[in-house]
Amino acid sequence: MATRLFGSGIRRREDPRLITGSATYTDDLTLPGMVHAAMLRSPHAHATVGTIDISRAQASPGVLAVYTGKDTSDGLQPMPCAWLVPDADLKVATYPCIATDTVRYVGDIVAVVVAEDPYQAYDALDLIDVEYTALPAVTNPAEAAGDGAPQVHADVDKNQAFHWAVSGGDVDAAFKDAEVVVKERIIQQRLIPNAMEPRAALAEYDQASGDLTLWNTTQNPHILRFLNSVVTGVPEDRARIIAPEVGGGFGSKIPAYPGEFITVFCAKQLGRPVKWNETRSENYQATTHGRDHVQEIELAAKKDGTITGLRCTVWAGMGAYLSTAAPGIPTILHGLMLPACYGIPAIKEDVYGVYTNTTPVEAYRGAGRPEATFMVERMVDRLAGEIGMDPADVRKKNLIPAFDDGHDTVTGLTYDSGDYPTALDKLLSHADYARLRAEQATARKSGRYIGLGLSTYVEMCGLGPSQVAGAIGFQGGLWESAIVRVHPTGKVHVFIGTSPHGQGEETTFAQIVADEIGVGADDVKVIHGDTDTTPMGWGTYGSRTTAVGGAALAKAARKVRDKAKVIAAHLLEAAVEDMEFADGKYSVKGSPDKAKSLAEVALMANVAWNMPANVEAGLEASTFYDPPNFTFPFGAHLAVVEVDKATGQVDLKRYVAIDDCGPQINPVIVEGQVHGGVVQGIGQALWEQAVYDDSGQLVTGSMLDYALPRAGRLPEIEVLSTVTPSPHHPLGVKGIGEAGTIASTVAVYNAVMDALGPLGVETIDMPFTPERVWRAIQQATKGH
Amino acid sequence: MELTASYRFDVPPTALWPLLVDPAVVASCLPGCEALEPVGDDSYRAVLTVGIAAVTGRYEGTVTLADQRPPHAYRLVVTGKGRAGFVNGEATLELHEDGGGTRLDVAGRAEVGGTIARVGQRLLSSASKMMMDRFFDCLRKQTAAPS
Repeated sequence: MATRLFGSGIRRREDPRLITGSATYTDDLTLPGMVHAAMLRSPHAHATVGTIDISRAQASPGVLAVYTGKDTSDGLQPMPCAWLVPDADLKVATYPCIATDTVRYVGDIVAVVVAEDPYQAYDALDLIDVEYTALPAVTNPAEAAGDGAPQVHADVDKNQAFHWAVSGGDVDAAFKDAEVVVKERIIQQRLIPNAMEPRAALAEYDQASGDLTLWNTTQNPHILRFLNSVVTGVPEDRARIIAPEVGGGFGSKIPAYPGEFITVFCAKQLGRPVKWNETRSENYQATTHGRDHVQEIELAAKKDGTITGLRCTVWAGMGAYLSTAAPGIPTILHGLMLPACYGIPAIKEDVYGVYTNTTPVEAYRGAGRPEATFMVERMVDRLAGEIGMDPADVRKKNLIPAFDDGHDTVTGLTYDSGDYPTALDKLLSHADYARLRAEQATARKSGRYIGLGLSTYVEMCGLGPSQVAGAIGFQGGLWESAIVRVHPTGKVHVFIGTSPHGQGEETTFAQIVADEIGVGADDVKVIHGDTDTTPMGWGTYGSRTTAVGGAALAKAARKVRDKAKVIAAHLLEAAVEDMEFADGKYSVKGSPDKAKSLAEVALMANVAWNMPANVEAGLEASTFYDPPNFTFPFGAHLAVVEVDKATGQVDLKRYVAIDDCGPQINPVIVEGQVHGGVVQGIGQALWEQAVYDDSGQLVTGSMLDYALPRAGRLPEIEVLSTVTPSPHHPLGVKGIGEAGTIASTVAVYNAVMDALGPLGVETIDMPFTPERVWRAIQQATKGH
Repeated sequence: MELTASYRFDVPPTALWPLLVDPAVVASCLPGCEALEPVGDDSYRAVLTVGIAAVTGRYEGTVTLADQRPPHAYRLVVTGKGRAGFVNGEATLELHEDGGGTRLDVAGRAEVGGTIARVGQRLLSSASKMMMDRFFDCLRKQTAAPS
């Protein structure tokens, strides 16, 4: 019996090159004649730009060119927004690659210098004299939407980029008849994604042929090729986009940025390869941020804990310009998920997308869904407190019972499959919840504040199908493609349209193919991230690479298997109907000795000396797979914290994650994804926040002031799972890239509030720094 | 960023005032001052090298000693920009007769931008205070120096 690789925790083949430092990132590439670009960025959050004197910079040693917005306005079209959410009065303000008359956030590009070496380029930036006239700035989305706020764009009234609403069920009746209503105002603070590799681009342009090669750290090279053609005018057939090793993205490398297109512009002008590599400081100010919501939420319920309605208003900061996919995140990916795993029967949400004088906001791991899960899960705990019921019991009362063939929500989604109660039960019994509650009560008697925080979630990922993409204003498709090519020796090349950058698909996709056609995983090489060699695809985000790309791949592999069966039948002089694929061999049913291996079939297919009639040479297949629906992973998480009343320090003592992403191709990789995701979510609860001062300066501009999670402050994360296959996916898999982040922030939040409940603390803005927690405790216990 | 401070001198305002408006004295006492050249109307072109936290920068700008009321008060207006960002500040210096000496009160505010705001902001007020202390210490020494 051949060992099935699907489900096996084999080691990631990506890791040796990553951990030994031999991986090749964009900045590792060097081309003959290569020169270097550096961007001059606005130090003002909002200012008009007067004269720009570049003469001293031009005369600086090694400098080849200095371009300002006036020089690039013909060669670079404005940055496109590619998620035009409909019925939302969307106002896409002009987003020039290089600002000309106005700068709108600290980091807006005002000029570019190209020099022989990067240091000369950076030195020359000092010599550019820009005349700025500072204007009032606004950074908080709720304030920006108010009367009299500074206008970020003259043609966008009240800074309102869009107003999107979702509703379902009778919300008014739910609140009118409510026995209990709980309310809260939550700040989903702005986060900085912090990919380990900052953004980078290397552009080589052949002035004779018009061919462009752009190496770029992107999550979606095919989309970038398309957007590049719009902005730089290099047609798609002339542009080759390569994403070499990409050192993390977390959503921040979905969008196209002015930086790479300015780099292309410089390469076209100068006829020399131009490299641009952003500094960490630039990364903080000009690579997209995440979250930034101000949320007002009300939940209606009965006294027995039954949730009857949810009503909310969200002000979502968009930053100074709409980044590529930005409008879809606090709307489609957010509001549609509000029925949550409870199937809340009445929903009304208004979302105001608001321009502010800040870095553009984009997808950040979870993208809209953590913010939605947070709202619901926080309110469930508030409800539990209000009616004196345990939060676990409120959840049990409301969870949708198990289903395997679809559950319709009032927001128009159909969850594919789910078994939420089992996930919660498993969590509670694994963690011994009852014992933890008893320990908590005992600890409180001795003045120790332990808190338990639950989060039960369902999310949507595997973004697709394309028909839906069109309906929701996504300016692209959401299908995926794959090519499986078997070489004469039986070795396999797989070409995929998605672009993994740390998620491990070079390994898991080899596992899928190995099982489907009968080779070893080591016989399969997965090729991605190059638009000239891989088929069209829509990228790696929204936990869609395996959920959609993996399905395409399985289907392509099955086509290869079918053809291999036909060829094997011919070679074995058997009827195709009598053939089977078993134990990794193509054999005659009932006669396992009469069998051909894939290598034998592949050799014949490639030399084609003796092929069945009407069968083409070669052993290769491709598929375009458009999923019929999203996939809906789910799970239940528990955080246990202890808060030091004297210092406000939060100690995360235990974290248990149960996630159901369907059948797991590689459980070790799933566990890794959960670990990373959970930690990023914990980071939001406890440590991370991008802060602007009143004048729009980013004061958390480096890792000195922006606190990232560290291993030493985290407990061992206990990762468990349940397995509920997706009914519509060829492999049943759902996606796991974002689940951890979606669930964990609110689990930790609920735990801290549970710990502080006896002290009368009801809400604290994240992150839970000791100072904030201490102040909240002082405030609540004042006079006691 | 708001700044307030008070300094005590043993000499009366009439003796302190000339030093406070003497560009040579100011230039020699201002930490990191490389140049202070008059450009008219009580304004000076200044070149300063300042290091705050991880941010060291060379700033070029103007210093104006406005609204002079000798020997009581003037308004110091500073605008500067450099690689590490920009600084716009304004401070009122008031000299008060105090038992034969002078109490000098400084009250001002500054706005900073660029790298200095991103990286150094946390340390900015303490660094500014330190620079002011050094400046007035130096000035105090000059008042004690035999002329």
